[in-house]
Amino acid sequence: MRNFGKAWIILVVLLIALLLVGLGIFRWYISGYNKAVNLEQEVEKAWSDIDAVLQRRIDLVPNLVQTVKGYAEHEKELFENIAKSREKYFQAGNRAGKIEASNELGGFLSRLLMLQERYPDLKANENFLSLQAQLEGTENRISVARTRYNEAAKQLNSYYRQFFGSFFCRRAGVEPVEYFEATEQAQTEVPQVEF
Amino acid sequence: MPLSYREIIMSLILILATTTAVRSQANLPMPRRYVEDYANVINGTDEQSLNRILQELEQKTGAQYIILTVQTTGGLPIEQFSIELAEKWKLGQKGKDNGMLFVLAKNDRKWRFEVGYGLEGFVTDLYCSRIGRNVLTPYLKKGDYSKGIYEANLQIIQTIASEAGVTLTGMPEIKPTPVGPRRRSLPCCSILPLLIFIFLMFGGFGGRMMGWWFFLPFMLGGFGSPGGYGRSGSFGGGSFGGSFGGFGGGMGGGFGGGGASGGW
Repeated sequence: MRNFGKAWIILVVLLIALLLVGLGIFRWYISGYNKAVNLEQEVEKAWSDIDAVLQRRIDLVPNLVQTVKGYAEHEKELFENIAKSREKYFQAGNRAGKIEASNELGGFLSRLLMLQERYPDLKANENFLSLQAQLEGTENRISVARTRYNEAAKQLNSYYRQFFGSFFCRRAGVEPVEYFEATEQAQTEVPQVEF
Repeated sequence: MPLSYREIIMSLILILATTTAVRSQANLPMPRRYVEDYANVINGTDEQSLNRILQELEQKTGAQYIILTVQTTGGLPIEQFSIELAEKWKLGQKGKDNGMLFVLAKNDRKWRFEVGYGLEGFVTDLYCSRIGRNVLTPYLKKGDYSKGIYEANLQIIQTIASEAGVTLTGMPEIKPTPVGPRRRSLPCCSILPLLIFIFLMFGGFGGRMMGWWFFLPFMLGGFGSPGGYGRSGSFGGGSFGGSFGGFGGGMGGGFGGGGASGGW
């Protein structure tokens, strides 16, 4: 009778211990899985911010080109390139394509702004100045959004490379994502203007 | 072979250098007043007047507008410098994102208006650029920093006020903005353990396993105050004893890089 009581207690303790361990594992699983999902959500959100500012830049392009055209008729090639990369952006099916096209467009646009050195009349045009201010603001927004996106992407990608991270990511169907690298041209030719 | 002291010290230095290199970012303490004139270019009258009007602006519209002058941004582009500070200080109210930061770097000869998301609609890049070019820069070129900063920022302040439908008198109420210290944790979180306890008491164990063990993760995790609520402690806000121009700290506003910058 006594032995039986002891065994009973041991059994109960064991069961509780097992239950606790089970709960611990369950909790760990849930949090690992949720982390993968949350990191992906962050990346998606950051990307949609980038998308919005890139769109904003694209919207500025026709006006800007129109204004500059009046002063710099000979820069046909540049205008064509801008139109082409704009088209390319619209046709890009995935992130990598959009990143590439928008980097290209950024490079051409900074060259467009630099035309004011060759055509001083541009500098006096109020319309050009205002478009320039808007473009600069947009470029700055793009760089802020890009930094945030890359930060989110880094978090996700490094989680993906962790020991259990990849396990949870695969469980949740989360893939590593592309970084938004600015091309060298875009970095060196950020429109800088002295007023 | 054990590492020599030289090696250890060298690697320590290396680690320190790399970590500080990564962290070489804009770093200034949360402003105590609306005008933080580190470069010492704003004269007393203008500073006091701006402080008053900015306090009144926050009292009436909730917008948090900080005017900052520094000697230099320490090699950072002024755009990066200002966005990092704005993000760190979280100027503006959460959800309304009505924060605004003006930065002037005296030795770099650069200025920038950093505009919170919520103000971008009417304090546009173009508007900031025009104010900067047409109002601020001419004064800066003459060396009259104080007047330039005063005039330029006053215009933007007025724009924010009129958009919100208020007029600024330059005389804030003497009682500080009610941004007193917020509760560290939500009230529900202190009741939750009790609820679970009651649930366990009355719910019983038999056959109700699915019922209560759902809560166990919470119980195992403890009920520590949830992170991210309230401000981060260091500037325990609220009590400026009715003084003019005291700034209580950012309220969680967001920035997206809107605004304009330039030089002179």
